[in-house]
Amino acid sequence: MVDTQFELTKDEALDLYFKMVLTRYTENKHEELFQKQKVPVYTHLGTGQEAVGCGVSFLLTKDDYLIGTHRGVAEVVGKGMSIKDIFLEYGGRGNSISGGRAGLHLHNPKIGILPLLGGLGTDFSLAVGAGLTIRNQKRDNVVVDYFGEGAAEQADFHPAMNMAMLYKVPVLFCCCTNQFVEYHPYRETTCTADVAPRAAGYGMPWKIVEDGNDLFAVGRAMKEAIAHARSGKGAYFLEFKTYRLAPHHTADQCLYRDKKECDEAGKKDPLPRAAKGLLERKWATEAELKKLTEQCLAMIDEAVQTLEASGMPDPATVMNHAVAG
Amino acid sequence: MAEKYYTEALVDALRQEMLRDESVVVMGLDIKPSIWGTTRGLYAEFGPQRFISTPVCEGSYTMAGIGAAMTGLRPVVELLFSEYACLAAEPIANVAGMWPYVSNGGYKIPMVVQTFAGARGHGAYAHSQSTQAIFLNTPGIKMVIPSTPADAKGLLASAIRDDSPVLIYHSRLLLTMTGEVPEGEHLVPIGKGVVRKPGKDATVVSFGNMLYRSLEAAARLEKEGISAEVIDLRTIIPLDEELIATSMEKTSRLVIVEDGRKRGGIGSEVAAVVSEKYFDLLDAPILRVAALNTAVPFSAPLEKAHFPQVEDIMAAVKKTLE
Repeated sequence: MVDTQFELTKDEALDLYFKMVLTRYTENKHEELFQKQKVPVYTHLGTGQEAVGCGVSFLLTKDDYLIGTHRGVAEVVGKGMSIKDIFLEYGGRGNSISGGRAGLHLHNPKIGILPLLGGLGTDFSLAVGAGLTIRNQKRDNVVVDYFGEGAAEQADFHPAMNMAMLYKVPVLFCCCTNQFVEYHPYRETTCTADVAPRAAGYGMPWKIVEDGNDLFAVGRAMKEAIAHARSGKGAYFLEFKTYRLAPHHTADQCLYRDKKECDEAGKKDPLPRAAKGLLERKWATEAELKKLTEQCLAMIDEAVQTLEASGMPDPATVMNHAVAG
Repeated sequence: MAEKYYTEALVDALRQEMLRDESVVVMGLDIKPSIWGTTRGLYAEFGPQRFISTPVCEGSYTMAGIGAAMTGLRPVVELLFSEYACLAAEPIANVAGMWPYVSNGGYKIPMVVQTFAGARGHGAYAHSQSTQAIFLNTPGIKMVIPSTPADAKGLLASAIRDDSPVLIYHSRLLLTMTGEVPEGEHLVPIGKGVVRKPGKDATVVSFGNMLYRSLEAAARLEKEGISAEVIDLRTIIPLDEELIATSMEKTSRLVIVEDGRKRGGIGSEVAAVVSEKYFDLLDAPILRVAALNTAVPFSAPLEKAHFPQVEDIMAAVKKTLE
C-alpha cells in the first residue's frame, strides 16, 4: 500500500502552482526591467527550476527560516516575500527592506528569510546556527538551507552537516541539482553524480527526488522532511534533480552546453506539467488556471508600478546602522 | 575586590552574563577542558545546550555563531589562537561585519569572538601572532584588547551586552597574571581608553601585553629625566581619539607600541588618524614600535628580536624628543 500521508492536498498543490507561476513571470519581468535599464542588477534566471525552488519553502511558516540562492526568486516567493519587496530591492530603492543596501542579496527578517550571502556555499553553518536557536528556544520550527550542487563543493558543507547531526538541529539541506555550476557542467567540477549520499557519511537521512520538475514529487518529499525535523528528529538531506534551462546570467552565451540537450530538457518544463497534473486531478479547470496566471501578472504589474513610484535612498542615510570608528 | 587570575576574571564575566541572560551561549573548540582556563567549570553549571563544544572547524562554527546571533542567541565564540581568526575571516569580515548594515538594522549580530594573541614563547609562526590588524579594515565590528584582569571581566561583559559583533583579543602572556577584580556586576565601557601613567614629555599609546613593556620603558625613562605618559587603549575600534589628543596637548609627541606587525598595523591606523585630525599638536614625527614584517620565528633569540623590547620603546621616545 502506498503511504499517502505526505501527498499534497488540493490547496497545497494550488498554492505551490500559484507561486511557481508567480516566480516564472517575476523573473521574466526582472530580465525585462534589467534590459530596459529600469533595475541595475542582472538576473540569474531559475527558469525550469520553479517546482524545486518554490517547493522547498512554500510549506514553511514565518517562524521557520530559509536561506536561499542567487538563482531566481522561487524560494523567497515560496516563503511569502512580496514581488514588490523583491523589485524594490533589485531597484536599490530607499523603501526596500534593506534601504538600498542589499541588491541581489534578498532577505526579510519579518518572515524568516535569512541573508543570502555573497560566497557560494558559505551559508551551510549559518543554517546550523539558526537551528541552534530553535533548539535552545525549544521551538518546533525548521531551517531550510537551499543551495545548488556547485555550492556543495565548498568547504563549509561538511562541517555543517557534521554539526547539524552532532547538535541534532532541525536543518533541511535541500540541494537543487540543475546540472550546471556557473559556467561548467556539474560533471566537470564534481567527481560524483549525486550529492545527497554524502549525508550518509554523517548518519543523516537523505533522499533523492529524481524528477525535481514534478510539483507533486517535490511537495511530497518536503512534507516528509519537514515532519521529520519538526518532530525533533534532526536534520535531513534532500536532493532534487532538475535542469537549468537558463544561462548562468543574462550575458552568458552557454557555449559550454549542448543546445539539443537543453531543448530536450525544456520539454520537461515543470509549469505545463504541473498544470496538467492539476487538471487531471480535477483540482482546477483551464479557466481557473488562466485566472490564476492573470492574478500573478496583476501582482507583478502592481509591483512594477510601486518600483517606478519609489525614490532612491537619501545619501544622508549612508551611515545608518554603521558601527562608528 | 579579590585577587584573581586574568582567566578567572573572564570566567566571572561569562558566568555573570550567562546567569543574567539565558540567550547567552558559549561555543568553541576545547572549551570543555578549557586549555586557557577561560571557560573552566561552566559546562557543569550550564550543560550542553548553552555550552556548545564544537568540532575542529573554526570558520564553520564561527558562522554557526552568526546564524545563532541573527536569530536570537548571544554567542561567545572562542578561537584558541588568534591565527585561527584567519580561518574565521569569511564569517567575521564578510558576514558579521556586513549584514547588520546591509540589512539596514534588520539583522543584528550580537556575537563576541574571543581569541588569544601574541607570544608566550616558542609558539613559532602559528601560535604567536597578533592578527588584529587583519580586521581593522572590516566595517561593522568593534575590537577590544584588555590588559588587566579587571578590564578583562568588564570588557567581556560589555561585549556580550553589545548588539554589534565584538572581537576580543586577549594577550596570551597576560592570561596567567593576577590582579584585583571587582566582585559582582562589573562593566567597562567599550571605546574608552585610560591613562596608566601620567607624564608630560611624550605620549606612549599601547594596549594588551605591550602596555607592561611601555610602563617599564616609562619607569626607566623617568630615571633619565624623561616623563612619558602611557595610555592603555583597551578598545581599538572605536578608537578613543579624544584621550590620545588630550594627552598630546601636553606632550606633542606620540609613540605607538604593539606586538603586531608594523606594516598596516594598529599603530599605522592610530598614526594616520592623529596626522589627519591633530597635526597641529605634533612637534615631531609619530613613531611606531612594532613587530618585524616577518613570521614569528621559533628560537628564543629570534623571537625576542622579532618583538618590540623595552629598549626599543625607550629609544623611540628619545627620538621623538630629539
